[in-house]
Amino acid sequence: MTMPDTSAIRALVQQHKRYDKMFAILGLLCLLVGLFTLLALLVDMGIRGVPRIDWGFFTEFPSRRAANAGILSAWVGSALVMLVTAAAAIPVGVAAGVYLEEYAGKNWFTDIIEINISNLAGVPSIVYGLLALGLFVYQFNLGQSILSAGLALALLILPVIIVATREAIRAIPSQIREGAYALGATRWQTVHDHILPYSTSGILTGVIIGMARAIGETAPIITIGALTFIAFLPPAPFSGNPPAGLFDWLFSPFTVMPIQMFNWTSRPEEAFQINAAAAGFVLVFMTLGMNGLAIWLRYRLRKNLKW
Amino acid sequence: MEKVHISSQFDADLEAVRSRLLQMGGMVEQQLRNAMAAYITGERELVEQVRSTEDSINMMEIELDDRCTHLIARRQPTAGDLRLIMAVIKITTDLERVGDEAAKIGRIVGQMHDSGIAKLNGFSDIHVAANMAVGMLKDALDAFARVDVVAAERIIKQDRQIDNEFRSLLRELITFMMEDPRTISTALGVVWIAKALERVGDHAKNIAEYVVFVAEGTDVRHSGGPADTAL
Amino acid sequence: MVIPMPNATPQPAQASSIKAEIRDFNFFYGNFQALKNINMGIEEGKVTALIGPSGCGKSTYLRCFNRMHDLYPGNRYEGQIVFYPDNTNLLAADVDPIEVRMRVGMVFQKPNPFPKSIFENVAYGLRVRGESRRSVLEEKVEQALHGAALWNEAKDRLHEPAYNLSGGQQQRLCIARCLATDPEMILFDEPTSALDPIATASIEELIDTLRGKVTILIVTHSMQQAARVSDFTAYMYLGEMIEYGKTDDIFVKPRDKRTEDYITGKFG
Repeated sequence: MTMPDTSAIRALVQQHKRYDKMFAILGLLCLLVGLFTLLALLVDMGIRGVPRIDWGFFTEFPSRRAANAGILSAWVGSALVMLVTAAAAIPVGVAAGVYLEEYAGKNWFTDIIEINISNLAGVPSIVYGLLALGLFVYQFNLGQSILSAGLALALLILPVIIVATREAIRAIPSQIREGAYALGATRWQTVHDHILPYSTSGILTGVIIGMARAIGETAPIITIGALTFIAFLPPAPFSGNPPAGLFDWLFSPFTVMPIQMFNWTSRPEEAFQINAAAAGFVLVFMTLGMNGLAIWLRYRLRKNLKW
Repeated sequence: MEKVHISSQFDADLEAVRSRLLQMGGMVEQQLRNAMAAYITGERELVEQVRSTEDSINMMEIELDDRCTHLIARRQPTAGDLRLIMAVIKITTDLERVGDEAAKIGRIVGQMHDSGIAKLNGFSDIHVAANMAVGMLKDALDAFARVDVVAAERIIKQDRQIDNEFRSLLRELITFMMEDPRTISTALGVVWIAKALERVGDHAKNIAEYVVFVAEGTDVRHSGGPADTAL
Repeated sequence: MVIPMPNATPQPAQASSIKAEIRDFNFFYGNFQALKNINMGIEEGKVTALIGPSGCGKSTYLRCFNRMHDLYPGNRYEGQIVFYPDNTNLLAADVDPIEVRMRVGMVFQKPNPFPKSIFENVAYGLRVRGESRRSVLEEKVEQALHGAALWNEAKDRLHEPAYNLSGGQQQRLCIARCLATDPEMILFDEPTSALDPIATASIEELIDTLRGKVTILIVTHSMQQAARVSDFTAYMYLGEMIEYGKTDDIFVKPRDKRTEDYITGKFG
């Protein structure tokens, strides 16, 4: 039996470990670059904007005087648009995802649909804006309203939700599905009693990530015609004189946070820049908050699923 | 407290085999007693009974071997269970041979009584040996039932006594035959009976050795003193 | 034509009845023929084991009995699986697979309880059948858990998640889930291959107690398990039924040399 050449082995291992270390350092540097950039932006915005944030900032309408300008109409507009987006995108996206995973046959037609969904995710957002302008604003005559904006954004994040739904459903082990069928369940019973409940955490995560993206989308909203200087809120149901209808707010003109920021940034006064920074900070905070919510919800809902 | 198998069916099967074996042992014991009783009383029915029961005993041997084969195929027994089944298979053989010896004694007794040469006067009689042999068999079966190693070892040692008893019987019978040649036929009959009883003692010793095997896993066969030189 | 029966000798006077007759059965995955020309009769209330090397088709065959293959595209059945006493061919085009699965239950290789409570797991089969009355559900769940020898361990934690149970307990839960719906036949697909020896022994003991109450078909890659647990054994190889008979006969004196080679480990 030959003696193993331990010194040669040792040298080889040392060399490979060096490569290991180099790669680790490289990876860490790349990570830090991205991290520092984000931190720098946040810190800059924070330093400039946070002092500006007070209760008035949230409750005042925009004004020509920077000190009095607030983001009331902007964040209310953003919230209402998000509401419409969610109400439109979630049912359609989840249903489409469930259909593709559970009901669709394996044929060329389904393949085409799948390819197109991935493509849709890559379409530039302004194109969605144009689509919404032509279809919702003019063709369906919904006007330059919250409804149009919400539907446009819904189309934008639809692929995200569909993919998230499909991934969540695929994560369910086939034995669970087979176990349900083996007990005599129909397809709908299996979907309703098992597939949907167990994929909820994945779907919800996808939804929130989609929404976090939508809240910051500016191009489609501009294209539709969100106004930049709105000093009023969409009419709440049953308010005002004559009383507004239940759904009048959907057809009201509006603005959203990114547009408000854009508007302030294009003003020369330094004070408005500060306002923009403050609004930006709030927007980032909302986005990070939504992502955080997604992570927490995912953790809570996944606790009972042992796979 | 003995633990049971998780499979209650396995427990039931093992117990069935054990009790069937003890049943066979009881039948064989009874055969011996009947044969020796026939020697004293000459009752024809006893001889007949011994002859007719022989078949059932042979059938039981076949049945027990079959059951054990299936137990091994079905249950893949290990350790104590395996030793038990091996012992049952071997004890079955020994018991069947004891049954043969009992049948032989029955035949000889029958022939002796038919020829009217049953009694030897003044002969100390074969009953001591007979009781010793039957007693050994009974004790061996009891030791198996209770898995009693101490009792088994006692029985193993007792075999020597039977061998000695047989040798002294032989000397006495030779004296008889030398003194009175008319007693030769009867005496020879008694010699064969005594030989059969000595073999019963050997089988009882075997059974006791298997008991030790079941309890402790050691094979104590062929490890005693010099082989018996009885005949 | 003659259906090969488990006995070569004539049946005894109190002959047991047949639960399922399989006639000229073939099965195709797309173009590949996985099962060839199978004919056999399965006795009611008895445990029948399917053994054979990997890839012999035993799991494929098992999953035909509850038409699991219908869930995936490209599979085709040929021939008949006829259930008695109603003489229904389970594979007929006009028989709904859901209907079949209501009569035939299945226990899987890896225990697969739902991520729900113990109670909801056992009750699910009943809910699927439209039963929603609390009292009925509670009674049947208790009965089923008794039948699966799990009641004592589960009765104080009926509403806790099923995943808190150990592997062996989870498998017994899956069996209880099957039992709750009073199936006529239960299919066991290598039910103990993911369990340790003691859990395996307790599942085998449980199968023993189910004998006589329900017809059982069990696929196992352990011949010893087949020997311990079954009344009848079928040896399969490359999609064909090589030998089918009483377990006692197959393991002591099999008729086909291929069976003997497999059982004695002279395979390959």
